[in-house]
Amino acid sequence: MSAMQAPGISPPPSRLDVGALAGNERLEDTDAEIETPELVHFSYRVAGPAHRLVAYAIDLALRALMMSVVGIIAVLGGLLGREAMAQATTGIVLLVVFLMDWGYYVLFESIWDGQSPGKRALGLRVVSADGYGISFADSVIRNLLRAADFLPVGYALGFVAMATDRSFRRLGDRVAGTMVVIEQSQKVVPPLRIDPPRTPEEMAEFSQRPRLDRVDIEALELFLRRRGTLGAARERELADMVVPIYRSRWGMQWADAERFLALLYSRATERDGHPEPEPSRRVGR
Amino acid sequence: MTEDDFIASRRADWEELDRLLGNLPNLNRLSGAAISRVASLYRSLSTDLVRAHSAGYSAETIGYLDSLAARAHNLMYSAPPRRLGNALKLFTRDFPRALRRRAPFFVLSAVLFLLPGLVGFFGSKASPAFSSAILPEESLEEMEQSYSHSLVRESGADMEMAGFYVNHNIGIAFRCFTTGAFFGIGSAFFLVYNGLLIGTVMGSVTRAGHGRNLLTFCCGHSPFELTAIVVSGAAGLYMGYLMVVTGGRTRWGSLRAGARELFELVMGAAGMLAIAAMIEGFWSASAAPAPVKWVVAVIFAMAVTLYFIFAGRKDEPSPSERRA
Repeated sequence: MSAMQAPGISPPPSRLDVGALAGNERLEDTDAEIETPELVHFSYRVAGPAHRLVAYAIDLALRALMMSVVGIIAVLGGLLGREAMAQATTGIVLLVVFLMDWGYYVLFESIWDGQSPGKRALGLRVVSADGYGISFADSVIRNLLRAADFLPVGYALGFVAMATDRSFRRLGDRVAGTMVVIEQSQKVVPPLRIDPPRTPEEMAEFSQRPRLDRVDIEALELFLRRRGTLGAARERELADMVVPIYRSRWGMQWADAERFLALLYSRATERDGHPEPEPSRRVGR
Repeated sequence: MTEDDFIASRRADWEELDRLLGNLPNLNRLSGAAISRVASLYRSLSTDLVRAHSAGYSAETIGYLDSLAARAHNLMYSAPPRRLGNALKLFTRDFPRALRRRAPFFVLSAVLFLLPGLVGFFGSKASPAFSSAILPEESLEEMEQSYSHSLVRESGADMEMAGFYVNHNIGIAFRCFTTGAFFGIGSAFFLVYNGLLIGTVMGSVTRAGHGRNLLTFCCGHSPFELTAIVVSGAAGLYMGYLMVVTGGRTRWGSLRAGARELFELVMGAAGMLAIAAMIEGFWSASAAPAPVKWVVAVIFAMAVTLYFIFAGRKDEPSPSERRA
């Protein structure tokens, strides 16, 4: 990465090669960054083989279920009707088998904008490598080439293709220029809240509102928002590193470093006369 | 500005955009004013996203903005809406034009299919040992048996056979295409394999003296079916060619550039196979007298030929040509 960032000679990001774009240090290995015509970058989380296998299993089960229903109807039709009727229903069953084999994904990806029932259940979506919705042609190509990905058995080739691509594209995806992404949270992040709520005894320690500058507050907020994702030991370690700075500034003693930082943040950001975030800003998730 | 302040000041806009987007499949469902509003909200969201990135806000906030931006972006710049006219153009213009443009692959595919077919036909017509080396004798006898009388079916069986042919033949044709993903080798293999197989069956049925029945049955759908298999094979070979002659692109980039053309060829073949299955199910085994079937077969063959040569010639460029 750093070799590519040598001043003046770093290549312009190519919109075709999404996987290679990693200019933003927040980007994870499994993110694909999209550059919009507004020159804004946003990123997709690319779905890996595990997610896609589960989605495939759901689709497979659903197809099996639909086939059984059609099959049962056909058998009943055969039992009730004469021979000609039985033959006609066999023909229809064979047509349905064909449509299920080759048309199931194309149909759903077309009407649900890149989602099959299995993908929808897992919150996955097929998008083009440029981040656009996929066209009918894209869907046909990527799903026809399932037959190639499937070879020699059980999508073995597809797995190899996915393992050697940073956007986890199987052969069909590569030819059609598509990738499967994970749709992210659709909800606004709620404001931070102190849990458990502050007690009067605790607040007595903070009788004077600490004056923190913007950088401090933002750092504290980032830390508090990431609590529960960093691992308990690491969180304690980080908090213990920071607390002495504030402690020496106000001469306060506090046993629980993380609690201290939470209270410090809460007291420093509260509006006058509003000890907790105002009800209007409290958003239910 | 803290993250909470940022969210508090901007979330009304985000939620409005979220509401407008809803679960829309495309933007044309909205009124003009609403579309303008979406566009302006999307642009301000773009700014928010840049700001959130540079301020280093939490992953949740950025994830939310990302997903909202992605939804708006997808709708605003999505693939053009599907229209019935476009689907029709695929067959009246795009497919024949693509096929003419890639005629060398069609010829190559035809040679790979027909040569083994002729070898199989004349070989097994001349000697039973030849045909039994290719196919087990039981299945050859079964074939000879089934063509020992003229094939006329009852009406219920028509639907059954149409279903069977759709499944079986389109499956074969699609495999001729998809296995081209291995530098075209799979397509070449399946063309030779199917050519040899079909030739052998025809040869051994002819040797048994039932050639006339077989010809009468097959002549109606063959112009569509065999041609479509050759077209699928040509698409597979072209896919292999794109992987080798990349024109300065990466291998996959080259394939992607040709994907639309591959789509046009394969859809054309699929359409022809669907027609073939209908003919095979409802006409080939019908009670019509043999000479009528022969005449119709000649008409079909001429229609396919004329379609390949002339269809869509004067039309405006097809999507794959505009892309190139």
